[in-house]
Amino acid sequence: MKNKIYPTLLLLFGLMVLFSFKRVRGNDDENLFAIPSNFPKPTYHFKSNPLTAEGVELGKTLFYDAIISSDNTVSCGSCHQQSAGFTQHGHAFSHGVNDLLTKRNSMPLYNLAWSTSFGWDGGVHDLDLFAISPITNPVEMNESMANVLDKLRKSQNYPSLFKNAFGSEEINTERFLKALSQFMLTMVSANSKYDQYMRLEGVELDEKELAGLEIFKQKCASCHAGELFTDYSFRNNGLGVAKVEDLGRFEVNQQESDKHKFKVPSLRNLGYTAPYMHDGRFETLEQVLDHYAGKVVKSEYLDPILQQNGKLGISLNSDEKMKIIAFLKTLDDDYFIKKESFSESSLKTVIPKKDILDDVKKLSFGNEKHQLIMNESLVLYLKLKDAILKKETNKAAVLANKLTLSLDRIERKNLDIASRVYFDKVFQGIAFDADHIIEGKALAEHQFDHFGELSANMFRLMSSFKPSDKPLFYYESSEKKFSWLSNLSNEESTPTIKQYQFKDLKKRALLP
Amino acid sequence: MKKLFFLLLTLLGASNLFAQKTTSLSIKFDNFIGNDPVELNTKSYKNQAGEDFNISLLQYYVSNIQLVKKDGSVYTVPQDDSYFLVRQNRPETQTITLKDIPQDKYVGINFIIGIDSARSAAEIGYRKGCLDVAGDAQDMYWAWNSGYIFVKMEGSSPQSTLKENIFMYHIGLFGGIGDKKTLNNIRNVSLAFNKETIKLKAGKVAPVIRIKMDASKILNGETTVSIAKNPSVMGGPYSAKIAENYKSMFSYNGIGMPAPTEKTSLGLK
Ligand code: HEC
Ligand code: HEC
Repeated sequence: MKNKIYPTLLLLFGLMVLFSFKRVRGNDDENLFAIPSNFPKPTYHFKSNPLTAEGVELGKTLFYDAIISSDNTVSCGSCHQQSAGFTQHGHAFSHGVNDLLTKRNSMPLYNLAWSTSFGWDGGVHDLDLFAISPITNPVEMNESMANVLDKLRKSQNYPSLFKNAFGSEEINTERFLKALSQFMLTMVSANSKYDQYMRLEGVELDEKELAGLEIFKQKCASCHAGELFTDYSFRNNGLGVAKVEDLGRFEVNQQESDKHKFKVPSLRNLGYTAPYMHDGRFETLEQVLDHYAGKVVKSEYLDPILQQNGKLGISLNSDEKMKIIAFLKTLDDDYFIKKESFSESSLKTVIPKKDILDDVKKLSFGNEKHQLIMNESLVLYLKLKDAILKKETNKAAVLANKLTLSLDRIERKNLDIASRVYFDKVFQGIAFDADHIIEGKALAEHQFDHFGELSANMFRLMSSFKPSDKPLFYYESSEKKFSWLSNLSNEESTPTIKQYQFKDLKKRALLP
Repeated sequence: MKKLFFLLLTLLGASNLFAQKTTSLSIKFDNFIGNDPVELNTKSYKNQAGEDFNISLLQYYVSNIQLVKKDGSVYTVPQDDSYFLVRQNRPETQTITLKDIPQDKYVGINFIIGIDSARSAAEIGYRKGCLDVAGDAQDMYWAWNSGYIFVKMEGSSPQSTLKENIFMYHIGLFGGIGDKKTLNNIRNVSLAFNKETIKLKAGKVAPVIRIKMDASKILNGETTVSIAKNPSVMGGPYSAKIAENYKSMFSYNGIGMPAPTEKTSLGLK
């Protein structure tokens, strides 16, 4: 008896030791997370949530899956897009479910393993706890946590993804949140020109950039400190109160002295994350520097650094501004923006998408005048598509406006109830995206994002009301969430489309 | 090596032999407004400010329980088993059961209203049972300003200036973490069993300790809270005044015998 038990115990003990090493080693997996040699130690508690390839994969699937939102339309990735440094393209405020707007500018997601608090006001102290906020916020995903977990438990793919990541199919709060963190922790941005220069990897900064770095160290680095370009403190940088007052840090701790203070943001990837500041009030870096140089607003809690020797702001001449901007551009990390393993298309499990055909109904406009309006609108739509694809942003803005006006001529009161309700809903969607195309005159990506959704709505109208007998085709690329209508059956092979290199392009014929 | 294992096994055996005799003990929270038991929605009450109101929701956290022994020492309930969420609309949550209490003579109880700052700041792995933010704690947690709501009372009053005359008191805030300070609305409660001594004996049915919770104290205390003036209090500075009021809302309410159905524990397990 004795002789049998001890070896078994020893073996068990040995296995336990082995197992725990393997677990801890998880975050030493260089492919998942490695500390760049020019960075300090991270603050995240990897010990209690060691990264594993399966955990990161699960987190990534959750991050890109709209199942997390109440109406299954919004994912974390909708407001945090990789190509925009994980912010939302060109938006000061982001769109959540039902196109409600967030109160603040979406934050870029990178180097989160080093952050000491999360959100512009730092109201959340642990990355694991952050996701609860967008999920339950009525203007973001408007869903309850319990319901999210319930949907995941009932889904086809998640029980096995949780099993891969955590050893059993159980889906609970801890596992869900830890998986999301695991994916977000892998988002390390440390491969900009500046980083390569600092790590002596054979990359040099040019004269202008070096001069910019020097000025930056003197005039900006007291707040945007160190290799992460933030000291993670909360400060008022003199923005002046916006139309809708946002008390910032004060809302978290009610300290009078923290009114209108916000977290000092990192400054990496600025080339992709415009607009800037917590309310996205500046479109360009020039505007940001003009702010620091001459437009700092005095208030009771303005940071002392910005009011030295009785002078407001930071003294900067236009040459210095230009040099700082040249330096800031060396912080753009193109490798990070393009890194395949962060993208939705790298997912091993394809996220089931709602099929657009489920939205199509059998409806009628009732009269020829309406059909004519629809066909005229379609012509405008096709011109708009051309402008979008060719990045003619001003022309696109004009055409988007024309398209809404044209569709608005449909006399709702002459439609039967079902048709009217459907038309109104889809029309509102079109008008919404058209507005953004009009607004985004300076930003081709922003227009592009909205055009995809606008096209889906045009498809809904055209296939529900069928105003014409002419053949029409619907092209859809789930990878870039882009779609468009065309009367060509082979538009995928035209040069304009080819340059976009859409992966997984689907085509549907929309016959009369 | 073998000897070590023998030693370990012997120690284990011995500790079993001398294991302390324990029993479980229930505490029943009786929610009142003044001298009337709380009735949701239907009953109208009056506060010190002279305003009429009714209550549609009432719930609060009680945690970190200690039992005070006759000799003045305390028995501290193991941390993970010491969190309870009492809800007016779920009677089974109003009786909590503490397990494995050593047999002894007890004269009082200490607990806190809310969730201690260590647990409020703890990692997700420590938030189970009534602290599960996707479960029982779902409506008692602020996501954007991470922390639990300690005491939540909602209702309506003709004097309220909010839509549909509702009022909402959601009081939380645990003091913040490190140098990031916030208000601290955690309050300690110490109640003596009125000179009574409760003898706990293993194998014998323990009595139920009854604790009265007078929700009117949330409004009436050092600060007379006017629903008209403050119909909604959540994170703001005024919450500290309400916390000062609620710190005295609990009192010892005698002992009773357990009803056959009262045996629900919602602690962490
Ligand atoms: C509707 C748009 C929207 C959605 C959907 C959304 N976010 Fe955000 N995210 C934001 C905004 C806006 C902020 C800034 C919030 C603030 O300060 O109030 C933010 C901030 C963050 C931050 C803090 C970053 C930092 O550096 O402090 C993290 C982490 C984050 N989001 C992760 C997520 C995750 C995970 C999801 C999905 C569960 C998600 N977000 C869904 C808009 C969104
Ligand atoms: C007193 C501290 C302080 C100094 C000095 C300072 N900043 Fe900032 N900076 C901040 C804070 C705080 C914010 C966020 C403000 C907000 O959104 O309310 C910010 C925001 C920014 C942003 C927007 C980033 C984004 O993601 O939205 C840029 C760009 C920026 N600063 C550049 C600079 C440059 C360049 C300098 C030097 C000329 C500088 N800052 C000096 C505190 C400072």
